[in-house]
Parts: sequence; structure tokens; C-alpha cells
Amino acid sequence: MRSQLKAMLKSIVMATAALAATYAVMPARAGDQVTQERLLNSDKEAGDWLQHHKNYSATRFSSLRGINKSNVKNLKVAWTMHLGGVEGGGMWTHGGLEGTPIVENGMIYVTDGWGSVYKIDARGGKGTLLWKMDPKIDRDWAGAVACCGVDNRGVALWGNLVISHTLDGRMIATNKETGQVEWQRQIADPEKGETITAAPLIVKDMAISGVAGAELGIQGWIAATDLTSQKEKWRTYTIPGKGEPGSETWKDDKNAAASGGGSTWITGSYDPAIDTVFWGTGNPGPNWDSQYRPGDNLYTESSLALDASTGKIKWYFQYTPNDPNDYDSVAENVLVDLSGPKGNPLKLALQANRNGFAYALDRTSGKFLWGVPFVKKLTWTKGLNQETGKPVEYDPNTPVQRYDAAVTPHRDNRVTDICPGNMGGKNWPPTAYNPSLKFWYIPVIESCNRVTVRNAVPEKLKPREFWTGGGPNNPFRITGSIAAIDVATGKIARKLDLPFPSLAGMLATPDLVFTGQPSGEVMALDAKSLKKLWEFNTGGGVNAPPVTFTVDGKQFVAILVGLGGAWDKWFIESTPELKKIQPGSMLYVFAL
Amino acid sequence: MRSLKVITYATLAMTVTSAQLAMSQSSPSLEPTEAGKAIYKRANCFGCHKWHGDGGGGYGGAALSLRATELTRDQIVETVACGRPGTAMPYFARGAYDSSKCYEMSRQDVGDQIPPEGGVFLRGPEIEAVANYVMDNVKGRGDPNYDECTSFFGKVSRVCDAFKTAPPTGASQSAEPSK
Repeated sequence: MRSQLKAMLKSIVMATAALAATYAVMPARAGDQVTQERLLNSDKEAGDWLQHHKNYSATRFSSLRGINKSNVKNLKVAWTMHLGGVEGGGMWTHGGLEGTPIVENGMIYVTDGWGSVYKIDARGGKGTLLWKMDPKIDRDWAGAVACCGVDNRGVALWGNLVISHTLDGRMIATNKETGQVEWQRQIADPEKGETITAAPLIVKDMAISGVAGAELGIQGWIAATDLTSQKEKWRTYTIPGKGEPGSETWKDDKNAAASGGGSTWITGSYDPAIDTVFWGTGNPGPNWDSQYRPGDNLYTESSLALDASTGKIKWYFQYTPNDPNDYDSVAENVLVDLSGPKGNPLKLALQANRNGFAYALDRTSGKFLWGVPFVKKLTWTKGLNQETGKPVEYDPNTPVQRYDAAVTPHRDNRVTDICPGNMGGKNWPPTAYNPSLKFWYIPVIESCNRVTVRNAVPEKLKPREFWTGGGPNNPFRITGSIAAIDVATGKIARKLDLPFPSLAGMLATPDLVFTGQPSGEVMALDAKSLKKLWEFNTGGGVNAPPVTFTVDGKQFVAILVGLGGAWDKWFIESTPELKKIQPGSMLYVFAL
Repeated sequence: MRSLKVITYATLAMTVTSAQLAMSQSSPSLEPTEAGKAIYKRANCFGCHKWHGDGGGGYGGAALSLRATELTRDQIVETVACGRPGTAMPYFARGAYDSSKCYEMSRQDVGDQIPPEGGVFLRGPEIEAVANYVMDNVKGRGDPNYDECTSFFGKVSRVCDAFKTAPPTGASQSAEPSK
């Protein structure tokens, strides 16, 4: 009996092994591993969307022409899929979708707001869910300290892994084939008010991560995890410690730098020629009580150029010193090469800033080249000094900057209206760049809002508590637009007004741009004239960027649809029609 | 006989349903804490005043501390129903400034100082319930503690861990993240 049982068990095991061998995922071909070589050449895989911002330069430009301005009016829904992550947690009643899909070889990788990763097989003209990795976030723990929504902006691919973040501060590596978690590590600490919403950036076998929480008195940082050893390779704090370079720009006696903010929650870009990572930093804390933290408050409100191998700061450019308006400078730096007027090569880093100005810096040196307002109403400063790029009222010898003092929030000007509002300008939704037209497309929020200043008091500084020095409310109507800037001239070439703020982000193709509106529309515009050529109302809140890719030789456009982020909680009074938009969680895929 | 049974069940179902309705409408007087707490969450008082009611800053505005407030119960009821003109405190009573005046003002009187409309409308008993909750559980309390936190969130999450021990003195730059 025993030997029979043994024999039976043995044959079962062997059969299972044979079965496993048959159904075993195809041994990873060399082409399936995502290597640094492939990432450096991601645009050559024209049918894929291999990286968060499409490529290391963050242009979000696809060369695909199958869908073009002649035929885009025929674009239709090809298939859709419902995802999860709509439930709430902490102070949030629901999760939302802000992610950029990643597409490789007909496989789509998306995340929902609570960090679940979905692998969807897009072949055969439909979507088939292959696996879902649910990181089981402690929802109340993370949700209580997420200032601005339950969101996850996407994954990155490396080797045979899918690298993702979670709102509760982890980095997770999931096997691309099996959907099983291979390892995870805690990078950010919600006990300190830190959360992570951005997608990682993969550079030279490292995953680079940013952190959120400047509204909760964190000290911001950018960290690199060695993907082979799973250990932290470097961590660069955006706020200097005592005695470190930049600490002299915190001139208070309360150790304000310890809760100085400087979040880093938008994925950066990378120039391999100079081995430099570009990353934007956010507001200083407390957001609106600038007198609590006199001094320029480095390195908040800046773009940083970091040595990719060591994380050391090579240069910085600060857009809004001693910022009183919560004008985060976290936005992506789009890397563009042009010929200058004398044929000299210009290597630019473009940033559409929260403060309503679009900037071009020389990315080899950080030198300011030009800056232009891209919003209709801008009242916080009279303009930029054309040499230094700083607001004209900026006085390096004054510790607290008043800018246009009549409107700037201050303990002597406690209730005031500012334009753009603290939400921008431009918020997290990404810009895109067309290299033939040299047009840089900005998703604009046309806004003003009202700020009330409350003195920050050291006794109130506690972990996981808001540390904002007051706050905004939103009595004014907010609308949107798309601004196309001619990067060769640094001037606005075209603008399209939109009824609602731009909360989705841009996709550029040779003759089109795609974007969405929180009222439900996904639209295609003519890349030159911005004339609307196609629109589809998804019936949900569109606040995620569109991507395009091919599967089996056919071109598709995909976008996540699910109302989320900060808008419907904190800013909804400015767009009362959007109160009707219901939460949801879907992937829409369009084709001709 | 058979039809009588059906009628009886139907009547019973209706009775139970209306009893439940009656209970929910009168539950504020039966269980002030739980009903009021539920409204505090549902109406998102939490979002600006925070779970502990101490308010503070954030994108919801500089919400006032309900722990430090000196408002009376009636004043809290009025503030919830009518909001606070010129501030971000919304009104939660359907018809505020329209079918019923607030602070003796109509919509025309209050003009552009009208507060925002709350995300949900609360009925009279619900406003009373949440005012009771604030009076009994929030107003006049000292620093929030672990028991209050777990009473709000339950014990499943780490969300109350910070209250288990004395809070750290501030962000430590040299602290290594746990692996």
C-alpha cells in the first residue's frame, strides 16, 4: 500500500513537473529582459511604451503614424477593462487613477491608486488580465498622510521584473511572468508622514525614487536602490542638514529645515551623455508661512542635476526662493537638443512650473536661458529677470520674499488671492514635446485661489500632522487650456482654451497631441493648430496621461480613467460641475 | 389562510423597515457617539478638522480646532448647517441661504461670502448627532491619544502606532530607512 502510494505520488509529481514544463512561461528570451541598453534606445522600439515618460528625455513623443490627423476622427473604443482600487482609506473616500501605462511586446502594465499592478495581454484585439499583484497597503495608515489623493503613477520595467512603489512607502519587485513578488523594501516612512506616488526611474540597474509629504513636515529626498543587491545605493536629501551646503539659506532659529519639505514626487529624466539625472523639488514647509523659514530655503522649488552614480548635486536652479505660495517645482524636466542661433548646440532642460512660468535651462550648467508665462492670470510677481530667471522682486539680501507684496500671503497679509492658485499653473500632469515642430505642449490649469495664513507654531509640529502654515480655499472658477510653446523662440505659439483644468497630461505624435479632461473627454488635437479633431467622453474623470503603442502591428491609444487625486476633495468648489463625476477605475483602449 | 400569511410577512417586513428607519432617525439620542462619529466621517469633517478634531492646515484650509473651540452646542449646530461665510467651512443643510436663512441672511444677502456647499447634505438629526459627537468626544480634550485613535480607526491598521509611544522629536536626517 505504502509503495503503491509512493509510486502514485511520484507519478503525480512527475506529471506535474511535465505539465509545469509545458506551461512554464517561455524561457525569457534575451529580448524580454529590460536592460539599460534597451532603456537607452527605448524610442527605437517604436511600438512599445517602455518608460514612464516614454524615454529618458521625458518627451512623451511617439513616432507612430498609423493614427494621424487624417484618420483620427475614426478612432473608436477597441476594448476596456475594469480595475480595482476604488475603495478609500485614511481621509480619502476613494482611490483614483493617475498612472501612465507601460507597454512592452503587447503586454500592458498599469497600477491602481492602491498600488496593485496589473499585467494585461493586449493581443488579439482585446484585453486579458494575466495577473494582478496586490501589495495590501495599510490603507488608513497611508491614507491618513497622503495629502493629495490615493494615487500611483505607474511602474518601471527592469530585467524580468516590474518595479513599483506603494503609497505606504515600499518598493516592490514583481516577476514579470508570474506576478509573484520577488522582493520589497521600505524606502519611505509613513510614520514620518512620507508617502510615495511617483513611478520609479530605472538608470544603470538602479531604481530611483522620490517621496511626497512636504505638507506634513518631512525632509525630502531622492533615493537610488541597487536592483541587483536590493540595497540603497544613495540618498540625496533635498533639504541640507546643519552645516551642509545650502543650510545657510534657512535663517531661522527653529530648525525649520528639519521639517523643510522639498518633496520629489514626479519621476525625473536622465541624460546618459553626462550621466546626469534631473529631478524637481517641491515646496518648503510650512507651505504658506514663509516668515517661519526666512531664507531662500534651498533646495526647495528647484531643479536638481544629480550625478547618477553617486546622487551628488552637480547644479541646481531655484525657481521661487522662500516660496510663499506652495508653487511646487516637482515637475518633470524635458530634455531637448536644439541648434542655437549661431549653430551652437543647445542642451535644454524644460520645466513647466507650478508658478505659471515655463523655463528653459542649459542642462549642462543650470544656467537660465528663458522663461515665459503660460497662464492667463499671473499676479504673484511682475515677471522674471531676463538674466537670472528669478522673479524681478527677488532680493537675495532679504530673508523673506514679498514678491508682489499686495497679493503675496504673509502674516501681514493674511487672507489674499493669488494667481495662479497654489495648484498651478501646471500640476503633476506631464508635458510632451514634438521634436519636428519643436512644440512643447503644456497641460494648463487657469486658476486663482485664496490663501489664509496661520502662524506655524513649533509645538504643533508632530509626525503625521499637517504642517502648512494655513491653507487655501477656492471661491473662483478654474478652467484650463493647452499651451504650445515654440522651444526655438521661447514663445507661446498656440493656446487652446478648455472648460476644465488640465488634469490628464499630454501625449505627442508626429501630427497630433492627445489629452483628457476631468469631465470625461479624451481628445486628439492637431499638433500645429491645436484644433480638436476627435473626442470621446468616457463618462468618468480623466486624470491620467494617454499613451500609444502597437500590438500585432496595429496602433492603439490607451488611458486610465478614474477620478482621483487632490481635485475632487480639495479644489472641487472651483469646478462645481465635476461634483457629478463618480469614482471608478477603468482602462480604455482606442483604435481605428 | 395562505394569503393571510403572505400579508402578515409583508406587513412584518414593512414594520421592520419602518422601525429601522425610525431607529436611524432617533438613534442620535440612543447612541450619540457612534452615529455622530459616522457622520463626522461621511460628511468628511475628517478631511479638514482631522480625525482628532484639532484641525490645522492642509489643502482643506486652515480648519479650526474643535478641541480648542469655545462654541456652544447650538453654535456648532448652526455652523454645520450654515457653514461660515467668507471661509472654507461648508454648509451642510439642504436649502441653507435659500429656503431657510442663515445668520439671518439669504443667498442674496451673503453674496460672494457664501460658504461652499458641503459634499453631502445632512438632515437635522444628523447635524445634531455630529454636534453631540464633537461636544462629547472632541471639545475640550487635550492631546489626542491612542485610545481615541483606535476608537476612531479601529486596531487593524498601523495608523495609531504613533500614539503608542512618545512621538519622536523631529525628522532625523541620519536615520536609515528600515529594510
